[in-house]
Amino acid sequence: MTFGFSVELDRHKKKWMTGQSRLFKKMASNQNPISAIDMLTSALRSNIIPNQEYLLQGSVIDSSAEVLHNRLRGLCDAAETGPETFHDHEMCFSLKASSPGGTPQQQQSFLLRVRRALDHPEYPWQLRYLGQPELGEKNQPTVLRSCIDIACTPNVVEFLSELGCRIEFEYVLKGYLFRKGRMKVTMSKIFRMGQAKSPDSLEAMTGSYLVELSLLAPSGQDAVADEIKVFAEQLRPLVHLEKIDYRRLQSYS
Amino acid sequence: MQREEKQLDAALEALLQRINDLKTSIRTLLFRLENEYASLSWPSFLDSYAVISGQMNTLLKVMKNDKTPLLRNLIVLPLVLSPDPDEELKQATEGRVVAFSHDITPDMLRTKPDPDVEQRQNQFEQRASQVPPETAQKQINALNKVVNHVLEQITHSREDWENEATVRAAAAQTCVTADTHTLIAAVGLGKNLKTLPIAAPAQPGPGRAQAGPAPGKTTSTIKTTIKAASQVHPYNR
Repeated sequence: MTFGFSVELDRHKKKWMTGQSRLFKKMASNQNPISAIDMLTSALRSNIIPNQEYLLQGSVIDSSAEVLHNRLRGLCDAAETGPETFHDHEMCFSLKASSPGGTPQQQQSFLLRVRRALDHPEYPWQLRYLGQPELGEKNQPTVLRSCIDIACTPNVVEFLSELGCRIEFEYVLKGYLFRKGRMKVTMSKIFRMGQAKSPDSLEAMTGSYLVELSLLAPSGQDAVADEIKVFAEQLRPLVHLEKIDYRRLQSYS
Repeated sequence: MQREEKQLDAALEALLQRINDLKTSIRTLLFRLENEYASLSWPSFLDSYAVISGQMNTLLKVMKNDKTPLLRNLIVLPLVLSPDPDEELKQATEGRVVAFSHDITPDMLRTKPDPDVEQRQNQFEQRASQVPPETAQKQINALNKVVNHVLEQITHSREDWENEATVRAAAAQTCVTADTHTLIAAVGLGKNLKTLPIAAPAQPGPGRAQAGPAPGKTTSTIKTTIKAASQVHPYNR
């Protein structure tokens, strides 16, 4: 699903990638083997890697989903070719990392998400890390969280289990992907995996589509949050996209 | 006696206030009529009338108030009439009454209505007394019926309009907050999505970003992950 985005990410990745190819050349010429680290840390410092996700979430009930679909088709790019549909399976692995000198109870874990496209088995798989969402002040229009995406091969599941990750949960998403400039809007229906663990035994979690509006950018570009807010206003009476803190939702029930 | 005097003073103060408000609103209405007659719309005109009617209402309430002594039992008696201009009077009346003289006193202290108004009222009274009582009763009944009918029509239309507004609001509900929370909790935390019987709740850990890039930092994370893996192995495998 992310591979529709290589066009936008390319501009950033190219800068980063040229740095890498330069360092490979240097390493080949054996001038300075430590420069790999230098190159990448300078890339990180110069703030060109899009590792922050600006996010707004909401939902729309199935009966009004068609209306929202049409509105998004009108508002977003590439109206002629129609929106892309996706059918993905996402698995979340957690890795417990005990802090040095800490007791086993103080183990901290973080989540890694592995996503594969069920409708295009030949696409690479995606490994994604999502940081803690920061809601910020009232005047911060979007949720901000760090987000790192990596393309990988299908044996990533084996790799992660070898590392010691445990699968926490998994679900299937089916929906539509729209793009506007650098922003990405997804309307997805979340399905629970059935007991038989086959794609046929799916049951929808709720009668609504989850709508997410997100943008990946290097950190510090807060002006894009305003772009997102403006776009969210245009979807206003149909779906209310807002900052939702899912950590608080955990404590509710 | 003194208490009554105080009451009277208070009542007069209140009356004066209300009358001043009424005067200002009438003045604004006249001003608008004179200057903005081209741009005036009927609803805004009705609004000004509503203001005036409200103020008259409060005025009447003040007069009917228990604390107000019966004004009907009191009379205003001019004590001194002089044609000389009186400065205090001028200020009190905003320059309208310059002197409390003989010609304006009858107008100012008049209790009867205007002569033409009085005449019209007399005419009406004459006509009313000429009508025999049965026809009068019948006419009263007919009037009551018509007025009630009109009132019913208006209340029905109002209810219909209000219903329309609420139905539109109800039909427009396109998102259910409970669903939003369920979906986001599911995607973010894995709530209700447990696949394993040993389900530890998923806790997004503190931001240790590097799962991929930054080989400068990879060395340290690889070390820690290897450590973690070796520790957790016996339980996972």
